[in-house]
Amino acid sequence: MSLCKKLLSLALTVAMVTALAGCSTSNSSSSGSQSETQGEEKVLNIFTWAGYFPDDILAEFTEATGIEVNFVPFESNDEMLMKLQAAQGGDYDIVLASDYIIDIARNEGLLKELDTSKIPNFVNIASGFQNQYYDPENKYTVPYAAGIPLIVYNPEMVDFEITGYEDLWNPALADSVVVMDDARNVIGLTLKTMGESLNTTDPEILEQAKEKLMTLKPNIRALDYNTPHILMISGETAVGYMFTSQVVTALQANPDLKVVYPKEGLGFGIDACFVPVNAPHPDNAFAFLDFILDGERSARISEQTLYINCNSAAAAEEYELNPALIISNDIIENAEMIKDVGETASLYNDIWTEFKLS
Amino acid sequence: MKKRKSSGKALSLGALPMLLWTLVFVAIPLLYILWMSFMKRSATWGVVAQFTLDSYQKILSPTYLKVFAQSMWVALLTTLFTLLLGYPFAYFTAKLPRRARSAVLMLLVVPFWTNSLVRIYGWMILLRSQGVLNNLFLSLGLIDQPLKMLYTFGSVLIGMIYALIPFMILSIYSSVEKMDWSLVEAARDLGASAWRAFFTVTLPQTAPGIMAGCVLVFVPSVGLFFISDLMGGAKTVLLGNLIRNELLTARDWPTGAALSMVMMILSMGMIALYKRLAGDKSLEGLL
Repeated sequence: MSLCKKLLSLALTVAMVTALAGCSTSNSSSSGSQSETQGEEKVLNIFTWAGYFPDDILAEFTEATGIEVNFVPFESNDEMLMKLQAAQGGDYDIVLASDYIIDIARNEGLLKELDTSKIPNFVNIASGFQNQYYDPENKYTVPYAAGIPLIVYNPEMVDFEITGYEDLWNPALADSVVVMDDARNVIGLTLKTMGESLNTTDPEILEQAKEKLMTLKPNIRALDYNTPHILMISGETAVGYMFTSQVVTALQANPDLKVVYPKEGLGFGIDACFVPVNAPHPDNAFAFLDFILDGERSARISEQTLYINCNSAAAAEEYELNPALIISNDIIENAEMIKDVGETASLYNDIWTEFKLS
Repeated sequence: MKKRKSSGKALSLGALPMLLWTLVFVAIPLLYILWMSFMKRSATWGVVAQFTLDSYQKILSPTYLKVFAQSMWVALLTTLFTLLLGYPFAYFTAKLPRRARSAVLMLLVVPFWTNSLVRIYGWMILLRSQGVLNNLFLSLGLIDQPLKMLYTFGSVLIGMIYALIPFMILSIYSSVEKMDWSLVEAARDLGASAWRAFFTVTLPQTAPGIMAGCVLVFVPSVGLFFISDLMGGAKTVLLGNLIRNELLTARDWPTGAALSMVMMILSMGMIALYKRLAGDKSLEGLL
């Protein structure tokens, strides 16, 4: 009896799974044929972090074009890639994610080439943000925002001038530093103090970096990826190393905080938009990219996201963009991008775990 | 006996959807994780279908063993403190008049209708250096510098105890409530002191509740990663944190899967141990 039951349930399961699989393939084929026909359905599926595209921009787009926006949020780049892979590069029309994951997605063949004839504003992209490693020929992506982690400190609580990463090790800062809970960025700043690349894969150099990082521990009050600025604003910590939007937010709450462009060199990252290879509505996606590349709108977006603007047209004076959000090309040239390090990511992660445990 | 068997048959047909559900959403994913834990991490993304024991070997490295030790230590302390705080609470609640009793239980349960993350943020507002407690102490002149209470090992423990204590209280409460009070009376009549009666009569009778509470607190406490992230400034690493980091940051799915397997085996070991010791069926169905 029980064997019978098991067999029956197994058979039913198999039937269910195949039925589900059937569903998904018929779905993707129908959406594929849809994109070939001229009149696209007036829908745009956007896939990115919640709130990253300002609501007023999305509403304006719908008003101007009649295209309905479906916003699907993700939590992390990795989640995005997992879902995009499961959808075989379909389901979504616009994906906004970080540089390194775009590089992986491009190598997996998940990106669709942009039809720049449908994106006249493509020329607005600032040259410093073009020809990046994740898209060397500018065929697939539109940079949306850039982030450069910086040091912020509260002069009331620190009695010396901070000029670089090395100062974070100063014994005067015992138990009063917050840095992001992120292996690559913090091991990266340690590497920078040693004059090494942020993307080193040499285990010996990483071992030295680990030794050095361990000596930073007594100064660390907390590791916080999402809200380090709150620790700065509330006076919990005297010094913080955090992402651009967090720096700007902290400054808005407490204008007395000082921002440091570390002398050892900067690390930076770009978040860019791409169209997945089997996007159901690519023409709508191109129209949307053109829409947000407009100088005035791009400036408005940066004022809301508080990330560095990547659009040369947005820097025009009449848009009054916050100067902190515009960065000169020579600063970008001297900055180093954080890239995917493949299998070495495990080593970075182990160092990070050990650092937390120490 | 015969009767039970036939009713069992009727039940089993009704349980078919449940069986299917379990198979599709529990058994298959578990097998997938097991399979994943023996695969090799791909250089860029995902896994390569190649059998290896690397992930399990990695777990035996000193760093990972330290995480296990730290996790177990936090879980042990959490269990101990929830027991010490929860037992008297449950005991006296059970002795309250009926109406007061349901009011107390209600008060215990109501906060848990709020998302636990929100409640943890509440604790952060209480404990931070310009938070409610520090401001209160400062204005009373008890301290002249804000105390560093948040982002310490102690604050992680507070968060853990706060999050898990209802499980302890409710398990103990249910066994105190079922207790035969006449046995305590008999012990007292025969000359036992109040404490002696408690230790020889009350405590053994409530042991099943204590054991159940310990299992229900200990097992989840190794996985509540957001508490150590938020209240400990991510400086305390629990097994849950490690698994999340392996999967999301290092993108090392096999190691994450192997860690999950080990954690599940540990949890099941705990429950098996409990069943062995308690020898009763109050946790029937958990294993």
